[in-house]
Amino acid sequence: MLSGAIGAVAYFMPAIVTAFQDTGHAIDRNLATSNPSATASAAASASASATPPPAVAPPGQPFTVLLLGSDNDAKFGGTVLTQSMILARVNPTTRQVVMESIPRDLWLPLSSGGSAKIDAAYLHGGASASVATVEEDFHIHIDHYAWIGLLGLVNLINQVGGIDVVATNPVMDDFYPADLTGKNPYAYERVAVLPGPQHMDGMQALMYVRSRHGDLRSDFGRSQRQQQVLLALRAKAKLLGIADLPDIATAMANDFSTDMSISEIASLLPIASSVQLQNVHQVILASPYTYTGHIANEDVLLPNWNFILPETHQYFPAV
Amino acid sequence: MRRAITVILLLALMGGFGFGVNRLIASRKHKIPTEASVFIPTATRPKIVLPGTLYLAQNGDIYRLSDGYFTDLHLSAALGLWMQPAYVPNSQDIVAVVRAAEYSNLYLLNSQGSIIRRLSNNANVHLDTVYLNHWMFYPRMGADGNTIYFSYDQPKDSTQYAVDFSVWSGTLNGKLAAKLLSNSNPFTGGDVEPTPMAGGAVMYSKYAISGGNAYSEIVIQPKPLARPTVLTTAAQDCGQPALSPDGTRLAMICIGGTGLQSTRLEVATLTAGKLGVPQTVVNNCLCASPVWAPDGSGLVYYNTADATGHFELWWIKGALTAAPSPPLQVTTNLDFTATSPPSWSPLSSVPVMSR
Repeated sequence: MLSGAIGAVAYFMPAIVTAFQDTGHAIDRNLATSNPSATASAAASASASATPPPAVAPPGQPFTVLLLGSDNDAKFGGTVLTQSMILARVNPTTRQVVMESIPRDLWLPLSSGGSAKIDAAYLHGGASASVATVEEDFHIHIDHYAWIGLLGLVNLINQVGGIDVVATNPVMDDFYPADLTGKNPYAYERVAVLPGPQHMDGMQALMYVRSRHGDLRSDFGRSQRQQQVLLALRAKAKLLGIADLPDIATAMANDFSTDMSISEIASLLPIASSVQLQNVHQVILASPYTYTGHIANEDVLLPNWNFILPETHQYFPAV
Repeated sequence: MRRAITVILLLALMGGFGFGVNRLIASRKHKIPTEASVFIPTATRPKIVLPGTLYLAQNGDIYRLSDGYFTDLHLSAALGLWMQPAYVPNSQDIVAVVRAAEYSNLYLLNSQGSIIRRLSNNANVHLDTVYLNHWMFYPRMGADGNTIYFSYDQPKDSTQYAVDFSVWSGTLNGKLAAKLLSNSNPFTGGDVEPTPMAGGAVMYSKYAISGGNAYSEIVIQPKPLARPTVLTTAAQDCGQPALSPDGTRLAMICIGGTGLQSTRLEVATLTAGKLGVPQTVVNNCLCASPVWAPDGSGLVYYNTADATGHFELWWIKGALTAAPSPPLQVTTNLDFTATSPPSWSPLSSVPVMSR
């Protein structure tokens, strides 16, 4: 019995190492109190809610995950922003999923104090600050987060054998950062993803979700493509089981972190594989939810909360 | 002594059992197919013999399918990835794209894969100005065997981020990029997949972005830079047009209403520049790159056979008729390049050519 357990432990060792290093990171919810205006808004919304939600939804109950993606290549020297933020609401019983992309240029109060583009929340306090900022500004509760870096995404997609994507249009970019392929992280390379159905490896998929210069919609087009790739990965979940986790964990090591435990991640696999496409609702916060502005010499997106909050609270319960 | 042997045996048994458990769990691992796990086409035989000669691309090489056998053209990988072959009417030559990291070029090849000549020079040697490189894709030959149509990322202003394809035409024996035919919508990706029509018109997929969504419309360009005739709607989101040899039917790939996760293969009549009501021939698929048989007896297209995502060749007999046959999977365990439409020559066997 003991030897069998040792054999099993040896097999799952990469996943166990990942579990210790990259999963189970607690969200520091105290970060929510450092911004006076945010605190006031949080207090106001808290007073409207009779009972605060539990920190984490009980098993089987709908839960909300904040998915974070960062350009964490060499040129950022450890000071990373989140270029991608997707709120996902998963109902394990009805097998329904809602994905809402939050534009990275959205200018709003940060939980760590002051106002900035929302992509800076991660810079000022990691995933906890990103979670706290979204919770306060959107008046919702987030149960979990998952953060992934550039190579984490590339390796994850390669590990599952690539993904099948219907490219919406030719994705063209003459100024795509060559930060993963060359010696100079400030260099550029050219991207041309041809339209239509195709099989993409990790690097091709990264180009598809990361490129934005040649798209009239800029970051919104990128958000749509990011949701597409997430759904394509969902399709690959059908091919995976718990025995595949060690390889995936090894592939994503150091470029992934989450507050979920390894068993919680494993329990998501059957849910992801059984969600039907018609049960996935996608939200992109383009106009009229947001509008362009110029603050502190930066082009930013300003929130129209009168539109954003009712839309968000249709799917993500208000607190 | 006896006790020591017992302990050693026990330890060995425990080690063996532990190793067995380890391997048992490992055996539950799913075998996820990779690029390396597929066959090369020449190692397989198609399920049916298709008429004429098909040229198809897989993993950066081009293969000829004729008389039920694949032949590898053994094109040089040193130049880049070979794709999008287009047979040259009235000859046994093909034009193909070589895609390098920052640019792509068109080459003229003979039927055995020997390079006759490079048709374009889109490479820029200065590493710090990668935007001076250019892309050329989707070569299609006119019926005269000399006029060539293709998508080219010109005109381009290097001070802006806009990089969009436009449809161009030229000649094999003269200037390649001689005529700009279409005005593409900036910051959309532009105009791709030109299909020559009778009388000098050209059909292609025109990309646009409106209401936050990118979509494609199939249009006909009657003459250079004229306002194109739009055949399909934004809601249909159709592209990859394939005109039947007699010009009366249009096969196309439509995405509208699929949630951008699947496609439909549709066929519609085309009469005097007007499209009839499309019929869905294959639904909820990853169908791509339809091409009609030269004799009009059916069409081929790419689709995945299962969730592994490898694109196989499929055939629909009688796709011109009101009741086409069910789709038949022609190849197994191959992985064709889905963005590289097959090219279908009417010639059934290709003799060795020398130039």
